[in-house]
Amino acid sequence: MESAVIENTKPAMKKRKTISDGKYAILLIAPAMVIILFFALVPLFYATSVSFRHADLTMGGLQGWVGLDNYRTVLHETKFWSTVKTTLEFTFFAIIVEMTLGIFIAFLIYGATWGKGWIRSLVILPLAMAPAVTGLFWRYLYDTQFGVFNYFISALGLPWHPNWLGDIKLGMISLIIFDTWLWVPFVALIVLAGLQSLPKEPFEAAELDGASTFQVLRTLTAPMLAPVLTLVFILRTIDLLRLYDSVATLTRSGPGDTTETMTYYLYRQGLVFFRMDYASTMALLFMFAVIVASGFALRPLLSRLAKRAGAR
Amino acid sequence: MKGNFWKLMCFLIVTVMVISGCGTKATTAPETAAPATTAPETTTCNDADRVPITWSTIAGFYTDAMTSIVKDFEAENCVKVTIVGIDNAQLYDKQIIEAVGETGAYDVYNIETAEKAGFAENGYILPMDDYIAANPDKVAYDDIAPVLADITTKYKGHIWGLPYYTYTQGQFFRQDLFDDPTEQAAFKAKYGYDLKPPETWQQVTDIAEFFTRKAGENLKGVPLTKDFYGIGLMAGPYQEIQDELSGMILYKGTDWLGSDGSILVKDEGNLWALKWYVEKLLPFAPPAALTVTYDGVMNQMQDCQIAMTANFFLDQWPNAANTDNTCPGAKMGIGVGIEKTTYIGAFLMGVSSSSKHPKEAMDFVAYMAGKAAQTKFASMGGSTTRVSVLTDPQFNTAESWWKTGHFAYLLKVFENMKDAKSNLFYSPYGAKLYNAMGLIYHQAAVGEKTPEVVLKELYDTFVNICGGDVCTVNK
Repeated sequence: MESAVIENTKPAMKKRKTISDGKYAILLIAPAMVIILFFALVPLFYATSVSFRHADLTMGGLQGWVGLDNYRTVLHETKFWSTVKTTLEFTFFAIIVEMTLGIFIAFLIYGATWGKGWIRSLVILPLAMAPAVTGLFWRYLYDTQFGVFNYFISALGLPWHPNWLGDIKLGMISLIIFDTWLWVPFVALIVLAGLQSLPKEPFEAAELDGASTFQVLRTLTAPMLAPVLTLVFILRTIDLLRLYDSVATLTRSGPGDTTETMTYYLYRQGLVFFRMDYASTMALLFMFAVIVASGFALRPLLSRLAKRAGAR
Repeated sequence: MKGNFWKLMCFLIVTVMVISGCGTKATTAPETAAPATTAPETTTCNDADRVPITWSTIAGFYTDAMTSIVKDFEAENCVKVTIVGIDNAQLYDKQIIEAVGETGAYDVYNIETAEKAGFAENGYILPMDDYIAANPDKVAYDDIAPVLADITTKYKGHIWGLPYYTYTQGQFFRQDLFDDPTEQAAFKAKYGYDLKPPETWQQVTDIAEFFTRKAGENLKGVPLTKDFYGIGLMAGPYQEIQDELSGMILYKGTDWLGSDGSILVKDEGNLWALKWYVEKLLPFAPPAALTVTYDGVMNQMQDCQIAMTANFFLDQWPNAANTDNTCPGAKMGIGVGIEKTTYIGAFLMGVSSSSKHPKEAMDFVAYMAGKAAQTKFASMGGSTTRVSVLTDPQFNTAESWWKTGHFAYLLKVFENMKDAKSNLFYSPYGAKLYNAMGLIYHQAAVGEKTPEVVLKELYDTFVNICGGDVCTVNK
């Protein structure tokens, strides 16, 4: 009986081997590729087509080809560049604060001797809700009359009564504080995971050699953690560049237009004024800029990974 | 880790439930209860036979109050109405997307005054002239306040729907402050004329300045426990800022668009309005004025923070009147608006041209805007558009003052504004222009740009939207 089973299975195994590794790999990624094709590439090609046409949805819809007119209009628009500047400013300051705080918190949790599980659970809470929802909550926290922040400032007896969302000097800061609260846990958790995955042996050897904490940090921890830090830096940068929901719910691009980011402006062009031609053009320019920037940022990481793969 | 997380989540959920159970009641919307009315005529109809229609409308009080009336309609007609409540900020976008796609997702749209011409011009809604002509008693079109009927339903000689809720502006003020002898004497000594609810913009500024006081100073002879402000304004990054400015612009004899479509937004009258608003009103408003819209102003009123509004939505009267309950010693008053010139408007119910059941949809619109439904709506605190309901004696009693005290003033405003209709409401670009204005005016309010720079930006935006320096206007 046993030998019969073996005899029967052998030809089947041989048959399976007839599919080459390459074809097998294609087969595995095919479902994902189909999804990407329909939900990413088709819209991308359609948006590209729209960006070369006149497309005012409320005035005749998709119309004739206009060549590069939309690109010319967008690139000559003061408002567009003003939103680019706002986006870059926001990204620059927010990434510095988020990375610094995130790394700091990760090290604190890593070094904690008790309650790590509880701390990790608490830290992850801001990520458990959608930014659009938390943005609405924070609108009330920032309220000048009924807000919690101003209540505590008054309770401390400080003479300062900030108008968080109404003062043009504070609008951007309020947005950065909110985004920091929301996303520092993400940075902290990824960095913490990186720290926990580091091999123990080099650190034990360094300890035996009498290396100082700073030396260990500079020569071991930082280089070994660099790939994780680079990755989280790139992910957060891309996310910050495409900031929309926090602006939509928290500041509505105010005070004035001090927090009007590119994506919020793009949304207004597309879904308030229904100028799909301008919106598509901006989206493509934005995507191009992000891809180029990500390529440059990812190059060291990718080359390092390629080297490591080659060494194996 | 996993166990801790779920324990924490359970703890938080329980905490939130306890806190929400113990919290004080929100003060923005006083309770409304439908009065006992005669039961509508019922029709026997199987659920399977009911014609389905969908009404997209604003989520919140407007829709909540209408729900029971919708049920009455269903009882009388073999129709099943699905109400889709959408947040006001997304309503226009959502409706336009469905209209452009001709999806037929909505049979009846909820259309803001400035949006009507665009919906009509693009063929998103059906004209109702024939229906109205065939059902004169049912619709009673002449009963709709004429100025509202004109601006909300007419375009290119056709009638495009029926209005069911007006948010026309007047003004609210703390009558008790104006009646106080101490304040009257102090005001007369400072400004040289009697203290009374303002009628001119100079009086608004004087009174707003007079009542703006720091915590510790006296108001009606009693020391204030917190800062008090002369005026509540809707200067946040919302569209309501232009509604406030609208009355000032029209008072100066100008408009956003001329009757020939010329763009007037940076003329002298428009500049005067914005400068007066920024320089002579905002300094006397709470700092939160820069972040709020109408609900925020009502919160300020109910929280004893402001003495009055400038031109403000009269449909908010039930909330304003609630100040008498929330603010000790307060007694609210109503007015027809500064210089008798205010923003007027109403929500229009229009039948989608993609509707699979236009006849039933028109029946529904006629019912909801009809006298019986509007009477019931008014009894719940809704601001009706019908003259016969506004003048109905049951809504002009001391008992109904808290809900319908503004009705008499609405009639006066309609009369005052009968010839002052903004041309914006007759432009197919009206919605886009209207949607663009709020964030631009707001830049002047927060001091980011001067009124002159802001109006130049607004002018350029109008040119961009209209494709030239003349916007189409069709009356």
